Amino acid sequence: MNALTGTGTLVRFMLRRDRLRLSVWVLALVGMVAASVPALDDMFTTDAERQSRAALMETPTGIVFGGPGYGLEDYQLGPMLVNELTMTVLIALAVLNVLHVVRHTRAEEENGRAELLRAAPVGPGAQPAAALATAALVDLLIGVSTSVSLIFFGLPTADSLAYGVGLGLAGIVFAAITAVCTQIFEHGRTAAGTAFLVVGVLFMARVVGDIARTGGNALSWLSPFAWVQQARPFDALEWWPLALYPVAAVVLFVLAHVLAGRRDLGAGLIAARPGPSGAGPLLRGILALHLRQQRGMVFAWSAGVFVLTFAFGSLAPEVESMVETNPDLAAFLGDDTEDLVGGFLGTIGLYALMGTGALSALSVLRARSEESAGRAELVLATAVGRVRWLGSALIVAVLATVLTTALGGLGLGLGTAVTLEDGAWIGRMTGATLAGLPAALVFGALVALLFGTAPRLVPLVWVWLGYSVFMTMLGALLGVPEAVMDASAFEILPAPPGEEAEAVPFLLYLAVVLLAGAAGLAGFGRRDLATD
Amino acid sequence: MSTPMTEQNAVDVRGVDKNFGRSRALDGLDLTVHTGQVAGFLGPNGSGKSTTIRILLGLLRADAGRVSLLGGDPWREAVQLHKRLAYVPGDVSLWPNLSGGQAIDLLGRLRGGLERDRVRAFTERFELDPGKKARTYSKGNRQKVALVAALASRAELLILDEPTSGLDPLMEAVFTECVLEAKAEGRTVLLSSHILSEVEKLCDTVTIIRQGRTVEEGTLDELRHLTRSSVRATVDGDPHGLEGVAGVHDLVVDGDRVTLEADHEHLDGIVRHLSSLGVRSLVSNPPSLEQLFMRHYGDARAEAENGKGGEAA
Repeated sequence: MNALTGTGTLVRFMLRRDRLRLSVWVLALVGMVAASVPALDDMFTTDAERQSRAALMETPTGIVFGGPGYGLEDYQLGPMLVNELTMTVLIALAVLNVLHVVRHTRAEEENGRAELLRAAPVGPGAQPAAALATAALVDLLIGVSTSVSLIFFGLPTADSLAYGVGLGLAGIVFAAITAVCTQIFEHGRTAAGTAFLVVGVLFMARVVGDIARTGGNALSWLSPFAWVQQARPFDALEWWPLALYPVAAVVLFVLAHVLAGRRDLGAGLIAARPGPSGAGPLLRGILALHLRQQRGMVFAWSAGVFVLTFAFGSLAPEVESMVETNPDLAAFLGDDTEDLVGGFLGTIGLYALMGTGALSALSVLRARSEESAGRAELVLATAVGRVRWLGSALIVAVLATVLTTALGGLGLGLGTAVTLEDGAWIGRMTGATLAGLPAALVFGALVALLFGTAPRLVPLVWVWLGYSVFMTMLGALLGVPEAVMDASAFEILPAPPGEEAEAVPFLLYLAVVLLAGAAGLAGFGRRDLATD
Repeated sequence: MSTPMTEQNAVDVRGVDKNFGRSRALDGLDLTVHTGQVAGFLGPNGSGKSTTIRILLGLLRADAGRVSLLGGDPWREAVQLHKRLAYVPGDVSLWPNLSGGQAIDLLGRLRGGLERDRVRAFTERFELDPGKKARTYSKGNRQKVALVAALASRAELLILDEPTSGLDPLMEAVFTECVLEAKAEGRTVLLSSHILSEVEKLCDTVTIIRQGRTVEEGTLDELRHLTRSSVRATVDGDPHGLEGVAGVHDLVVDGDRVTLEADHEHLDGIVRHLSSLGVRSLVSNPPSLEQLFMRHYGDARAEAENGKGGEAA
């Protein structure tokens, strides 16, 4: 028996276990790209339309979600796809790969199932290897299917292949990054959080590098987000940047393997410390317990959101100078730099809301894991009622969401204020971001509603979050009908400071959030407790 | 045997049904726990013990039947009733980042009162290290955490779901002591268990369930009376004549030695017959709880094998 004995069986088992989950991911991602091709073709029919869109991709916002700006001179369907879709697909692939690898490695160790497997003739490296292998299979399936669909729509074969395979390879690197993170930390949640943080930093590195120099500087090249576009598909195709992906993946995989050899099953690289022998005065009630259970997650998210928004905020001078030095851009966007910076920051603020929306859902979901682990049973058998138990969890979720959203706005405002030396941005951006708060809270409220009434349907919340993010990022570009767009949680309220905030929709949205939360509470008081 | 519902009963469950989707977990279950007594709750895996306990705790709602706990309705008055009881689940799951001591204190506070001295005393008796994070505890240690939290409370009713399944024999002995003390303090205990010797040692009454139905309920003596004692004897005369004697079952004759199973109401006649043969030695054992249990469990398996007991347990 060697370290990898049993990998093949585990690969089949993981695919069997996740057949629905992975199918949804593959269909959603490939379907999105395939549907975008004819949609983009319809939206931008004349050269003038295409070039005005290309001008938009040269703006800082365009660079953040577009890329280094290859192929903008002649913005035909191929370059358009690469510039408009790559970041969305890569971010989705990062989420898919991080969650998949954590789910099949660290999470399995944490819940004790890994022990059962490792007691069978299964090598110590088999589970990580199988998790990576299945991730790679799915990534390549997504990549190749993307290539096939592009070729089907008549795009050049070699470029289509390079682009699709490049996306798939990037996914594999995200999986390998996660494999390293899962070796270091004892908890699946911490490992996933760290992996997302690394991915976020890599994304930011590309953004900063690409904004600093058209085509990207050395900083961009450090990021796997850059390489697929640096191969310049549909522009001036070069294959060699794609070779960076397998090199990075192999290095990371070996690193993960070495780390795995240095630790016990279930342990992290950092040993657990003993705790106090009794509860302190703060750990008094159920609200205190929920707060304590979630404080790590809330701190990590707060720090992450603040650092990222601060970084984006501090790009404000670049936004200004780009307009000042590029008369074409100024002609296209107008030369009111304050509006321009405001528009840029408003877009970033919307993305911060998407993040805090995910946090509000995750926070309420902790109630579900407490229930299925049996800890809710232990607490509800004491003098704690159902409504108080879930209600306290909801209070924590609201606090976490408000805090991170405010910090997101503060980060944007502070970054801008420091670099532009104008303190007014702090209040302006904090207020503007908080004006979108209901759109973040609604995801937690929906989890609460389903948790209380139909717990099996809770994953639908993620589907809606994915839909909302997609529609807000790409809906307008793809000419999606307004009614379909409006089903996005982020399209319901205006996005200040670019748009005027309105009180009535804000309050109505908040009322819906409260109603959903209350219905969830009522439902939870009525249903049987489930333990698996 | 059924007991009329009275004020004195800490737990009164009558004819309770519970379905999970299409599978029937409880099918007209009865359970009585008299106040101040220790009640044993026995049944094979999947027979519905934990489901019954979760209904008693108001975590699940009964589909039919009557449930009374400490004179109240566990579904509607859960919080009020929970102040008066303490619960140890069969599979204790704790917060991985809290130490055992923190979990014990927290559970005490959530129940409405924490007596540090009692907690310390029980922690020492169970030799629990309260300073370790819960994720480093074994199953037995997690169980100790829940046991210390429950026993240290002054709850008038203790509901214990297989509380010793992860404990070593030494700790089992400590547990037995603690339950007897609790009983001496006038507290009521509902003890679901697989360990029959433990139930025989501790319990005043026993309820045996199978496939969600109560098959035996009563004191151990009453239950024993319903079944047979095993009798072994060595006699001078020819023991074959025992064949026709009323109440004799499973007769085995080996020379002058004889073993048989005797119905209790015919014990007198059987002993007279033996004595007429000239008894040189005689041993009579009452049925063990194991035999009681195996009789019902064995029946279930036989039925299942014959395809009669096909419904889900």
